[in-house]
Amino acid sequence: MIDSKAIATALGRIARHTAGATDELCSADGALGDGDLGITVSKGFAEAAAADLPADVGLALLEIAKAFQRVSSSSYGTLVATGFMAAAKQSKGREAIDPADIPALVTAARDAMIQRGKGALGDKTVLDGMDAIARALEGLEAAGMIDAAIRAAGATVEEYRGKPNKLGRARMFGEKSIGLVDPGQLALLRIVEGLKS
Amino acid sequence: MKKILNNPADYVDEMLEGMVVAHPEIYAQPVRRVIARAGGATAGKVGIVTGGGSGHLPIFTGYVGKGLLDACAIGDVFASPSAEQMAEAIRLADGGAGVLRLYGNYGGDVMNFDMAGEMVEMENDIRTTTVLLTDDVVSAAKEEAEKRRGVAGMVYAFKIAGAAAEAGSDLDEVTRVAQKAADSCRSIGMALTPCTIPQAGKPTFEIDEGEMEMGMGIHGEPGIWRAAIKPADEIADEMMTRLLDDQPLARGDKVSILVNSLGATPAEELYILFRHAKKRLDAAGVEIVMPLVGRYATSMEMTGATITLIKLDDELEGLLKAPAHCAFWTV
Repeated sequence: MIDSKAIATALGRIARHTAGATDELCSADGALGDGDLGITVSKGFAEAAAADLPADVGLALLEIAKAFQRVSSSSYGTLVATGFMAAAKQSKGREAIDPADIPALVTAARDAMIQRGKGALGDKTVLDGMDAIARALEGLEAAGMIDAAIRAAGATVEEYRGKPNKLGRARMFGEKSIGLVDPGQLALLRIVEGLKS
Repeated sequence: MKKILNNPADYVDEMLEGMVVAHPEIYAQPVRRVIARAGGATAGKVGIVTGGGSGHLPIFTGYVGKGLLDACAIGDVFASPSAEQMAEAIRLADGGAGVLRLYGNYGGDVMNFDMAGEMVEMENDIRTTTVLLTDDVVSAAKEEAEKRRGVAGMVYAFKIAGAAAEAGSDLDEVTRVAQKAADSCRSIGMALTPCTIPQAGKPTFEIDEGEMEMGMGIHGEPGIWRAAIKPADEIADEMMTRLLDDQPLARGDKVSILVNSLGATPAEELYILFRHAKKRLDAAGVEIVMPLVGRYATSMEMTGATITLIKLDDELEGLLKAPAHCAFWTV
């Protein structure tokens, strides 16, 4: 079972891992956007890791969403917060969640992020990574989930490297974005890697 | 940049501090960047909140007051407030009867207000609804009217929804009336000179001496044409034609009209515009109720004006004329 203590531990790991990836993410973002994505992600997880999480898992996930919003009002920060918020709604009132519920929470997060970001799958955004993770987790035992998520996020980065960006500021680069990794997909990979670090 | 300020980073906070100490009987700032009524929420009354960037006074914060708004979250100049500030505004507006979020259709504001609604629903069990202003007729075609930006029509929506809430209507009813008011508003702007965001330090756009831009938005969003400045009557004519094409009016219809300064344009020039706009409405056999001429929704020190028409039926007219009071406007 996963309680809010376990979530806090995981956040600490992600915060450390994404802090180490700050420069890499900023430079990937700099090629297609304003170059601050690494800061958005590392600051967001640092703030979430420092938050005092309530025992109710739903309210703990809400606290994480709020921490993200607080330090980063960029669209990526808002999307991450949206994902946590969707998971929060589904877990409100529970002091622990069963790992078997994780795929449903990831799916809920993915759907809410697609809706808020007004994006479509295939646009070469973080949404494709979320979708790949959601699909990879279906029917898995708890023990294999983190590895499966990392593989799915990594495969998404590579799959889309050769495709053009179709959403947001990166869309303006059109064909020039072919060959470049999508910074949002790469950030998602670093986030899920953090779970294992 | 020539502005009366101390440190550009303190611009918004010092402005809010000044507003609250100037009008302590109207405004309070219980949380940084959230302005609420001095007396707090009214028990049993539907709350109305708005929010958006600074730089538009009296929009947004100015319209907190009796018969108008209950609370407002305010961001940096032309920047959205955070979802947490919006959630705080909703909590401060909640008198136990639910809260209407009433604001302009801008991407960042919509995302953050949606998040804020989810937060207060989860944490505080506050029921919220949303009505967006989409009154700027040149910001998208009529077929895509839901994509239009919200501009000075907000003033009418605040007033009408505020009156319905003050009269004791429930959340669904206040939301219905607010939507009806929003749907009845059409606005268009024009600009002569840009404004400067304090923290950016340079003008939001460039325009040659002697030129005007028709259709410009209140953050300097591009309009529909730019050319040598025309006489006032021609400007008023084009603006009125575009408004009336978008929302045709019949002989005997009633409207209220707002001729609004974007900041630097003086009242004198607004009356010159109003005079001609009235001729157009007279010629169409349309009756004007409670005309508004002045500075109601600005863009810092931009020179220019907007015209808003709201088509009124008896219900909207009654609510528009109901008493209201804030530091900038008393009905």
